[in-house]
Amino acid sequence: MIVRTFCIFLIFAGTAFSQQRDIRLPYPLNGVYEGEYHFTASKPARVQGMSHYGKDWSRDAHLLWDGKLGDTLELSFLVRFDSEYDLGLRLTKAPDYGICQVYLDGEKISGAIDTFALGVELASLTELGKHKLSQGVHRLELKLVGASQKARPFKQEGRFLLGVDYLHLKNLKPKAAGNMPGIELVHVDYAELHQVLKTYCSDCHHADRREGKVDLESLTTSELFLGDLQIASKVIAVLQAGEMPPEGAQQPSLDQKSQLVLGLQNYLDERLASQQSLQPVVMRRMNRLEYNYSVVELLDLKGDIYPLPEKVIRSDFPYYQPIAGLMPDRLQLGNRTLGKNVIEKPILTGVFPFAADLPAENGFNNRGEELSISALQLETFVDLAQAVVHAPEFNDYSNVFKALFVYAGSEDPLVVARKRLSSLLEKAFRSPVPEELLNRYATFFEVRLQQTGDFQRAMKDVVAAVMSSPRFLYIIETVPEGAPRQRLSDYELATRLSFFLWNSIPDDDLLKLAREGKLSDPKTLERQVREMLLDPRSQSLSQNFARQWLRLDQLVTAVPDSKRFENYYSRIGCEYWKLGLQSMLEPLLLFESVMIEDRPILELIDSDYTYRSEELHHWYRAEIPFKSRGERNRFLPSYQQFNRIELNDKREGGVITTAAILTMTSSPLRTNPITRGAWVAGVIFNRPPPPPPDIVPEIEEDDAVIEAQGLTLRQVLKQHQTNQSCKSCHARIDPLGFVLENYDAVGRWRDNYRGGLPIDATGELFGEVRFQDIVSFKEALLERPEVFTRAFSEHLLSYALGRELEVSDKLAVDTIVRNVLANEGRFSSVVVEIAMSYPFRHKQVVEAENPSEEIMEVLGK
Amino acid sequence: MKKIRKIDRRKFLRGCGTAMSLPLLDIMLDPAKGGHGVAPKRAAFFYIPNGVVQDRWQWGSDGGEFVLSPTLKPLQDLKEKISVYSNLDRIKVAGTDGHAQASTCWLSSAHPTELSPAGYPLKRTVDQLIADETAKYTPFRSLELSCNPYTDNKESVYFDNISWYGHGHVAKSMRDPDKVFRRLFVADENKVSSSILDLVLEDAKSLQRQLGAQDLRKLDEYLDSVRSVEKQIKRVEDRKGTIEELRLEAPTVPWPELERHQYIQLMGDLMVLALQTDLTRVASLMVAPERWSTPQKVDGLFEQPVVHHSWTHQQGDDRVRAELARLDRYHVEQFAYVTRKMLRVKEGHTTLLDNTMFLFGSGLSSGKDHVYTNLPLVMAGSAGGAIKTNRYIKSEEGTPVANLWLAMTQVMGSKAGVLGDSTRALDLS
Repeated sequence: MIVRTFCIFLIFAGTAFSQQRDIRLPYPLNGVYEGEYHFTASKPARVQGMSHYGKDWSRDAHLLWDGKLGDTLELSFLVRFDSEYDLGLRLTKAPDYGICQVYLDGEKISGAIDTFALGVELASLTELGKHKLSQGVHRLELKLVGASQKARPFKQEGRFLLGVDYLHLKNLKPKAAGNMPGIELVHVDYAELHQVLKTYCSDCHHADRREGKVDLESLTTSELFLGDLQIASKVIAVLQAGEMPPEGAQQPSLDQKSQLVLGLQNYLDERLASQQSLQPVVMRRMNRLEYNYSVVELLDLKGDIYPLPEKVIRSDFPYYQPIAGLMPDRLQLGNRTLGKNVIEKPILTGVFPFAADLPAENGFNNRGEELSISALQLETFVDLAQAVVHAPEFNDYSNVFKALFVYAGSEDPLVVARKRLSSLLEKAFRSPVPEELLNRYATFFEVRLQQTGDFQRAMKDVVAAVMSSPRFLYIIETVPEGAPRQRLSDYELATRLSFFLWNSIPDDDLLKLAREGKLSDPKTLERQVREMLLDPRSQSLSQNFARQWLRLDQLVTAVPDSKRFENYYSRIGCEYWKLGLQSMLEPLLLFESVMIEDRPILELIDSDYTYRSEELHHWYRAEIPFKSRGERNRFLPSYQQFNRIELNDKREGGVITTAAILTMTSSPLRTNPITRGAWVAGVIFNRPPPPPPDIVPEIEEDDAVIEAQGLTLRQVLKQHQTNQSCKSCHARIDPLGFVLENYDAVGRWRDNYRGGLPIDATGELFGEVRFQDIVSFKEALLERPEVFTRAFSEHLLSYALGRELEVSDKLAVDTIVRNVLANEGRFSSVVVEIAMSYPFRHKQVVEAENPSEEIMEVLGK
Repeated sequence: MKKIRKIDRRKFLRGCGTAMSLPLLDIMLDPAKGGHGVAPKRAAFFYIPNGVVQDRWQWGSDGGEFVLSPTLKPLQDLKEKISVYSNLDRIKVAGTDGHAQASTCWLSSAHPTELSPAGYPLKRTVDQLIADETAKYTPFRSLELSCNPYTDNKESVYFDNISWYGHGHVAKSMRDPDKVFRRLFVADENKVSSSILDLVLEDAKSLQRQLGAQDLRKLDEYLDSVRSVEKQIKRVEDRKGTIEELRLEAPTVPWPELERHQYIQLMGDLMVLALQTDLTRVASLMVAPERWSTPQKVDGLFEQPVVHHSWTHQQGDDRVRAELARLDRYHVEQFAYVTRKMLRVKEGHTTLLDNTMFLFGSGLSSGKDHVYTNLPLVMAGSAGGAIKTNRYIKSEEGTPVANLWLAMTQVMGSKAGVLGDSTRALDLS
């Protein structure tokens, strides 16, 4: 038992970050180790939801495993305190379940337990006796020793299942453990960790060689290790992902590895908890989707102000109704073909969208550093505001036209205007309105009224001015008096929330909560977040977040070879309409259904349903959706019917294997495994590869040519990886791309290359899990729900904050991930956890170290 | 279904073409009519992404006879009006993508050790430094154009722009010729009222007290822009009469329907018009964004859509290199087109080209291995005689390209003695 070789003791962290704590293996506070959550399990264990078999199973799920007679299910779990425990095991019984014997840390602790039953039911608790357990990781083994004669084998002769609902550890000496607040970090002596690093890493990472500019040998103390938190975090990440030590190098044992990761992680966590640092968010300008929704909210418009390519899905029928809790089975939808240069008709005369803002690399288009206002853009914004309010259709288009712009009655028009402006400014600027601010705009109104003698005209002018103010155009969090880091004000919190979930300024309800100072109350906040998700405006998470997260815009310019992939186009020889572009809707509809139905986010990896039009469904089956060319020419580009389709094959389902993703990551004449791998690494794992090196070898662009040489693409790529630095990076990216090699350049399944050469889709994940193909790849991801949950949470948090995440966000992400997993990974829990997280509710100000001249000048004015 | 319209090339260019006969600058030159007698100097930049095929760009002679390389052959008739540079380098900084840095830092005035928060050696770019000298004379401070046709949002802002007021503050380029036209030549379009600007300026200033250092910098970008637009409004107003006299017609065809060369040339025409009418003295045109591996149609040159960036990495293949060289040459042809246009604009006894420094270049020499040394650079025009043309200037190996930038800013009136990692101003005369 490796644990004993390490000196382990407990550290009690401070209380300030009490909600931010983590260790690699989760452990329960009540002693109930859930099979589906609290263990690291050997293959092929997987989680199975049990609610359809009854309500007996703890948390409605168990851990399912199958093996041949003699195989062992290995379960690692973490014990918090040195103590004596009474152990009990709750197993599942079913017709194809076997007989097992239980071992604890290699020692047999039970007789034969038969889990056969005619139906599917929960067995009674199996007593495993009293045992002394030390703090640290322990191993429970269930050896499949036989099966009842009545039991029927699973899949093949001699193979049976086992199901673990939970392991219960009753602490018999609870006093020894004390009354813990539940914020412990397991600690391992750094010298021991360094010894392991030295043994396995210092060949490349020593002072002279410094591979990747990292010298691990010299980091002899934890202080040195924590000297650069970026590097510390990177070291942990590559160890955890099994990327280091590289293939071919001497490897630590799995136990050593997990102890190393666990130990280093705890040093890092402890440091982060004590530092309590927070990366500041730079104030940023709205992008054009946000501007649209903000103006719609401010002036209560009946629709958008201009056509938005960001809205991929078009529908006359408002199908997105989260309050229903169910996504309809049939949808009549259109698809904005962004790339086909279709000039869309303006909605309001003279109102045109401003240029799109480009996304940050591996990020979103809502980061302050990349969103500024040039003179040209300022002109555009001022013009745009006037164009909106003066558009001929405006008066009928705004539901508050009368209430805001029309003067009726006998009251002093200035008094009327002032009253109206007071609430308008609060809403537009998302802040209380001090007298000085109100005076500024009221005076402007007065002057315009004098000049024009027209109340409506003057009101429109002042509204246009409001919409041109930086207080409207920028998302600003002000400097609090006192500490450089503080909680957001209620107004600021409301603003972050509404831009996060609606891409818009807060509505009246949210403003009211902010005004009354209630929003920062955690219970109110959570309730409000859930209500906002149930509002149709939350569709902007699909329009904006999901589209950018999946990089879906890239499909627009994909041009599969028109001869080889004739079906991609509705007409050959001209590209007005790409039939294949409707595939863009599939991942977005899946995302929306996960949102609306509050499904586990892991369904984005694998789902048992999807949404497709008939043509699209044919597409995957490599059937020609039209009988003749003539029919294809009559293909209706504006609307198709999308149906919810059940899937029973892991080759389909989830976002990764949709035609959209597979097509946009291919070249015209072949798949592009490196592009695909980089996509999977960035989007699914949130570990984007570093920029490619300067010297990139050439790879033939047509797979027909490659095959004519008797080679597969994989063999060709392998030949080109000439040095270690190519290899170690590609060892990570390539398998993530080649696992998709069974899908051709437009996303259709193939067993072999066209010339007949076999496809090799195998690879390794996390440095320890082999996968054969996409099916076992997806299974591996599902078995480690924390991996995708973390990546997805990081993407969404970064989107919510409008900045890149830093090491200092790690503890917050740890908390989010743990709580999301405890909530079965439901979509809403990710959103709620993010909204409740420390970085989301706090702001950090940067004090200028050396204020530049221009800033001094500004301050002087 | 939408039908493609047959485009009459003459029709869409006609609007812009008419101005050629208008001796606008003659009025300005004529002291009797209140002019200054001397045509102003202008600076313009023409950026091509992803480097060039080296063995067709470089040429044999050094110092001797000035002979144009195969790629530069389209400039043959302009040979007496151009100068070609070699051995000018940028220093690539590790940590950011080689391509993004190539475009975004091409004109940067930052020393390689001065990194922005995003990791780029990015500071106010040379064109904006020049605009600091010239902006007081013209309605528009500068003009940034891009012929980026892509709508797939594949790359970040750093791949799509070469002009920056400072890091984090991009002088965002315009892609739509119609919008460019309206901004420059339709005075009514500039309906921004000064009173709104006064109000928001006051509002912005009142925010200053409440912001931290980083946000102050952001707000400063806004303030800067308001002040720029304020000045612009006054100057546009002053020039309104002469602009209206031009009676220019807006481009009639939406730009996405233009063929590639039509699009580039239309943007080139607009740039020339802006310089010719002294609406601005600084302009830049990105012929395409950096990297951006999106297939693109180049009508009349290639049958299938091509991916410029991928080709640069495949140029070890002779067949690909030959095609890539055709694309380089095509870009030089577009540059030559714009240059000839400048040459045809008479300014007193000289031409617009004579009074302009019009620089063609890329942030990479070879896109194959992302090489930052010996950047391809061709200057057209002599900036009122400040630049000696019809020659090849070979610097010592390892000369910073900042030496050229420094020389250019000095020609345009800057007093600065150092720029980025410059060692001394390159001798242009």
